Amino acid sequence: MSRAGRLLAVVDREVATVLRARAYAVVGLGYAAIVLGLGWQSGGGFVPLTVDLLTPVELLVPPVATAFGYRAVLEDTEGKEIEALRTYPLSRLSYVLGVYLGRLAAVLVVVVTPLLLAALLVPGTAGQGSGVVASHEAAGTVLLYLRFVVLSAVFAAVVLAAAVAVSTVARTGRAALALAVVLVVVLVIGADLGIVASLAGGLVGDEGLALLIAASPASAFRGLVLGTVVSVVASETVRAGSAIANGLGLGAWLVGSLAVAVVTVWPTVGEYAWQVVDPGADEPDD
Amino acid sequence: MTAESAEDVDSADEAAPTPATDPRKSGPPIVTAEGIAHAFDGVTVLEGIDLDVDARSMTALVGPNGSGKTTLLRILAGLLAPADGRVRVRATGQRPLGFLPQEPTFRGRFTVGETIDFYAELLETSVDRDAVLERVGLDVVTGRRVDALSGGMLRLLGLAVAMLGDPPLVVLDEPASGLDPKIRAHVFEAIGRLADEDRAVLLATHHLQGAELADRVLVLDRGTVVADGPPEELLAATGADSLEAAFLESVSEGLAVQAGTEGSE
Repeated sequence: MSRAGRLLAVVDREVATVLRARAYAVVGLGYAAIVLGLGWQSGGGFVPLTVDLLTPVELLVPPVATAFGYRAVLEDTEGKEIEALRTYPLSRLSYVLGVYLGRLAAVLVVVVTPLLLAALLVPGTAGQGSGVVASHEAAGTVLLYLRFVVLSAVFAAVVLAAAVAVSTVARTGRAALALAVVLVVVLVIGADLGIVASLAGGLVGDEGLALLIAASPASAFRGLVLGTVVSVVASETVRAGSAIANGLGLGAWLVGSLAVAVVTVWPTVGEYAWQVVDPGADEPDD
Repeated sequence: MTAESAEDVDSADEAAPTPATDPRKSGPPIVTAEGIAHAFDGVTVLEGIDLDVDARSMTALVGPNGSGKTTLLRILAGLLAPADGRVRVRATGQRPLGFLPQEPTFRGRFTVGETIDFYAELLETSVDRDAVLERVGLDVVTGRRVDALSGGMLRLLGLAVAMLGDPPLVVLDEPASGLDPKIRAHVFEAIGRLADEDRAVLLATHHLQGAELADRVLVLDRGTVVADGPPEELLAATGADSLEAAFLESVSEGLAVQAGTEGSE
């Protein structure tokens, strides 16, 4: 089995694990009910739908993605199964990526499907008007809405990466739950409060605001949606920070979280301390 | 074999000559550990352990709770970096060793067969799942979910996972702890079959029933090897009439020293 094959084996195992656990289905159905309910209430077109769903998605995706990821690696570490896994030809990178991608497949289905179904409600609800965006007659195209859906998927992927990192750092279920709660609070309100406090305290000016927005995944997501979807049809200037900075901010959270997960999933043992040598070879020198 | 920190029982070699067919004499050791030392939070767990494990042999590591057995096994298996010392494993192939953790668990909603299939997919060669399960006696529960297995069956599944890919060394941490005598006997029977299959088996156990199967017994006490040799040599060296009595004899001196030290403090 190639390295890719081993990674796929881990991906398959994670997908099967999620599919067989009712708790994940309950989380997914709860999220879908809220999104579809809001979609039903929304009116006027795709951009109004985006605006109506932006804050709910920003609030709901962190707990949903965290629920799917915060115990992912812990399922193997709590019962010491990971010690058996470590004796197989499976690298830390392949293992963590496999766990992440398997969970990501499930999270994307859960997050994206209701958003796409909500889009189907738009023609039926068109004409009811929206108090938020009223300046564009077409009220946006489906392509703008799909941009929002893609950005939501990226946001979910970033939060899931952070949750998988939590699952590698935590050594017990209780610690993982506590860290997951902290993660959600930080992502949902903590970072925004930090931005407001920094502005209010004069720690950063307008010129530093774009960087602060980019540093928080939720703010960066919101900025990207406002900047690339809403501002296209908005009558007034939308302050959304820098799209590039926001994209880089999300990328940094994604890569940084996965890097933390890879480094902490299990400790390395240096070659001096432990080494496999050929039985026919002479004793290696120090 | 070396165990420099151990009470030397090798002098009994003359009394109990090693058979010419002893597989332990058939090549270089599969594991060589030199100067292994480890501590947790400043508390010394292992100290200056030198150890060779011969290929195609079964070595039992026995000792009281907290003697450092699990830590030593994890270091020998490459799962834990020692604070000092080094380990060399002489092996070729995709999987130099297999490891059975203490009280292993596997994904509960997977069946026994699916669990083996997953691990088989991590290997570079194909695996005959049914044959592997038959070797440990789990072929009759291939379709049973892991969370419906008994403790003994879980150990057997752990054994199957440890031996997939035919590693030349299998390290087993307390494979029979917490099991009733009947299941324990079954687990040791499966381990005995493993040892017969051209590989080295290194196991830590509280149950001297398992140690009796071994070619060699290492007695670990407070982080050092206090006795080392074939079971019959341990009996001869301690003058005990059972392995359990020999074990108690080996560690009692240490306990007496410990008690004296505590009393003087």
